[in-house]
Amino acid sequence: MPKSQLKKQAVESPEVEEKDSLKGTFISVMLIGGFIIITWIGVWALYLYR
Amino acid sequence: MNMHKYEKIWLLFGTATLLVFLTVVGISAFYMGNQPPSCAVTLNPEKVHETAPFDEPGLKQLGDNEYQLTIVASAFNFDVGNNEKLIQIPKGATVHFNVTTTDVVHGFELAGTNVNMMLEPGYISTYTNTFKNTGKFTLVCNEYCGAGHHLMAATIEVIE
Repeated sequence: MPKSQLKKQAVESPEVEEKDSLKGTFISVMLIGGFIIITWIGVWALYLYR
Repeated sequence: MNMHKYEKIWLLFGTATLLVFLTVVGISAFYMGNQPPSCAVTLNPEKVHETAPFDEPGLKQLGDNEYQLTIVASAFNFDVGNNEKLIQIPKGATVHFNVTTTDVVHGFELAGTNVNMMLEPGYISTYTNTFKNTGKFTLVCNEYCGAGHHLMAATIEVIE
């Protein structure tokens, strides 16, 4: 029956997502964030000093 | 909605950064008075040399350490009021730049300072700058304006 099959899938999928490690993604995204902040402060300091 | 813990941290971090950046820009603009160049005033580009203050380009003292610098740009020259193309400004002076062009679009960049604007025929470009550091600064055209573009230059010297 198609109805029961759908129900089974919905229960299974979040469990699979939870198992993936996102540590590497988090670190790389934070590194990009840090780079953006450093360059922004650099340009800002240059503007104020001049 | 099921959201990963790291994703929540990242979103919070991104939003906080954006708020900090906007606050800094807001304080700079409304409290410290840092404004971009303005070109709100118009004039007839064919009658620049007859229109005040462009009939007499050069440095004019307005008050205590406050000056108005009027410059007329044209292909391929910056008319600063003298043949040496040299303007001397005392350190710490506030200078109101008043610039226009008689022909095509020119750039107006005082290399090494925050003075950087575009000159369009028919518009008066203005910018106010306080010279905190001494030195010799070269005024260049940074918008390609024709065959003599690289010859357009003048010098502004900030002295003690």
